[in-house]
Amino acid sequence: MINYQIIKYRKLWLIISGAMVILSIVALLTWGLRAGLDFTGGSLLEVKMAGGQPTGSDSIILRFQETSQEKHLAVVDALKKMEIAKGGMTEIRFESIGTSVGADLRSKSFSVMSLVLLIIILYISLAFNKVSKPVVSWKYGLIAVLALFHDIIITAGIFAILGHYFAVEVNTPFVVALLTVLGYSVHDTIIVFDRTRENLPKSHDSFAETVNHSLNQTFIRSINTTLTVLLSLLAVLVFGGTSVRDFVLALMVGVFCGAYSSLFVASPLLVYIEQWQRRK
Amino acid sequence: MKNQSKGLFSSKKAHLRFTLLLIVIFAIVSFLGSAGNYYNQLSDSLAKATHNVVILPHTKEIPFVLGLDLQGGTQLTYEANVKNIPEADRSSSLEGVRDVIERRVNSTGVAEPVIQVNRSMNGDYRVIVELAGIKDANEAIKMIGETPLLEFKETASVTPTVTGTSTAAINLQQAWKNTELTGKNLKSATLKFNPNDGTPEVALKFDEQGSTMFANITERNVNKQVAIVLDGYTISAPTVNEKISGGEAVISGKFTVAEAKLLVQRLNTGALPVPITLVAQQTVEASLGQQSIDNSMKAGIVGFLLVALFMILYYRLPGLISVICLGIYALAVLAIYKAMPWWMTVVFLSSLFALFIYVFKELKIFDGILSVGLFLIVFIFLGYYAHTAVTLTLAGITGFILSIGMAVDANILIFERMKEELRAGKPLDIAVDEGFKRAWPSIRDGNTTTILVCFVLMSFGTGLVKGFGATLFLGVAISMLSSIVITSSLMKVFVGKFLARHPWWLGVKKINN
Repeated sequence: MINYQIIKYRKLWLIISGAMVILSIVALLTWGLRAGLDFTGGSLLEVKMAGGQPTGSDSIILRFQETSQEKHLAVVDALKKMEIAKGGMTEIRFESIGTSVGADLRSKSFSVMSLVLLIIILYISLAFNKVSKPVVSWKYGLIAVLALFHDIIITAGIFAILGHYFAVEVNTPFVVALLTVLGYSVHDTIIVFDRTRENLPKSHDSFAETVNHSLNQTFIRSINTTLTVLLSLLAVLVFGGTSVRDFVLALMVGVFCGAYSSLFVASPLLVYIEQWQRRK
Repeated sequence: MKNQSKGLFSSKKAHLRFTLLLIVIFAIVSFLGSAGNYYNQLSDSLAKATHNVVILPHTKEIPFVLGLDLQGGTQLTYEANVKNIPEADRSSSLEGVRDVIERRVNSTGVAEPVIQVNRSMNGDYRVIVELAGIKDANEAIKMIGETPLLEFKETASVTPTVTGTSTAAINLQQAWKNTELTGKNLKSATLKFNPNDGTPEVALKFDEQGSTMFANITERNVNKQVAIVLDGYTISAPTVNEKISGGEAVISGKFTVAEAKLLVQRLNTGALPVPITLVAQQTVEASLGQQSIDNSMKAGIVGFLLVALFMILYYRLPGLISVICLGIYALAVLAIYKAMPWWMTVVFLSSLFALFIYVFKELKIFDGILSVGLFLIVFIFLGYYAHTAVTLTLAGITGFILSIGMAVDANILIFERMKEELRAGKPLDIAVDEGFKRAWPSIRDGNTTTILVCFVLMSFGTGLVKGFGATLFLGVAISMLSSIVITSSLMKVFVGKFLARHPWWLGVKKINN
């Protein structure tokens, strides 16, 4: 039987997480996320040349401002007349997104995120309403949401860094990934809390010890589940092609953070809340 | 908790046989639904090998419904300008736009269009037109864009200084204002010739509502001009002599016969009730889609194998059972993505439902309002999706592969719990039961939040997010049921003297009897 002293070193975990969150916020404030076509509006044209490419890959992606259908056709015509298109050229993909559509997506994303967070607090308060001692149920919900913010901020921060150094862009799939991470992370946190909820009534140990015991009981399942999820995502990252790469990367980062936060952020915070309540 | 009645013990074997039968039925239906083509190949080769002695009936091969990003096609997003339409009439006008575009696209016979009307956060109306399989979107864009917008305008209080005649473009910004009458109220248009000078004219006939509107307009504009405006150009601005109540009007611009004919044709296929502008356009070539499908297939298989390998290596016999369960799960999810015929839908749902009732009753874990509400919602949605197809997008397939990783979570929870009970010295059969019973609240609470997130995703609006939400929901819902129901039944098959003597298979050192 494993018995790690996770709660004992709670200050350390929270300092690590706090530092990560602060670094992420700094990255987000200085560089920001590199918003892609979906959010900014604009045009993207991908063409495939029949002859060999100087770039090595067989398709070229052109980015330009939002444009009309006539201009799009003119651009394709002009490309066809160029030297490199001698062997023939086909248009693979064309996207043109108006700025209003992008702005709408941005505001929609924020409202959807807020809605999800609200639903999660409500659900946890409801599901945990039988546990009121020593910590009331809505505080579990609040902590779960704090853990979620931790995951979302770090994931977004890492994408701000990736955007700055590797020009990785953020599009609709990124929002979907964040939402999925919300679902996954809260799932993970709930499972640890659930064990605490189950152990509390029959435990003779202190609150901190009971929480630590519950963490150890769920530790292996947390690691194993995260591992299987990361394994299946890894398969998509390697074989899924370039179009889903960033999406999968966001999921992997988020799932990792979510697993970390349910073990090393949520439960330590729970112990702090209980301590703080006693001191009052 | 341990007040199991003795009468049940005698029928325990029959009980187990029945649940296994249900699992087999569920697995077969899932296989037929998801991989009908492989089944048919199998039955062909079986017939060949046995020289037509064993002939299995063929099944209907149901195709997946692929999204635009996977089969290639064009998505056009239009924004409707509704500022001249009263708030209450906006959604009905948008329905009008939808119908007109549908008729327009259908008349060319190029594709089955999927048209949605959406509202953006700040209240703009958007019309999203999806044209699957269309590589050259230009024609469609031209056609939709050229659909005429017919408006009737009356003079604003300031009388405009309009000189010259009808066909010239007149700046209407200040001088004219819209009336309530638009092309929406047009019943039909016909080509006519002026009895006096033989020039071609277009006769308009309004529907009932339009007739009243037209009568009102002409009544309040006697001795004033009323402009008939097509796509923003005034074609005719006659002065009204008297109230016209018959619901008929004539446009007598300076048409050639060909022009008038074209106008009639265009008006009859429908005039747009509100002006629209193209705000977004996405075209994906089919080859890119095929490549994505191939990539995803590979990723899915590798992902499955990695997860399976891990589970077997770590959990041994229970791991193997969870892999069987995962296989059935994958088939079931793929089947539910497709639009299964009625008989399959019924067998699929009823076998799953029967298994669920049976196993949950036996484990006595069917508790409280949360569970009941959850299952009600889950089964309603499963029923809906079993018979209707889910449009698979690249994000959706990724969601499915992700759900393979997440599906084993319930199994992991159960097995860890079971091991714990065994270590605590409980006998095997009790430990197995307790493992399921105790893991259930965690599985329920964890999955419910994910399902709630899925519902938010499904109501998000754009196709990509919707598709991902639906596939993730189906994955989570089916995995939650199958992991408990199928795994627990299969585990019971192996609970016996052999396992009690060979604890290695369960990954523990010792089992108390």
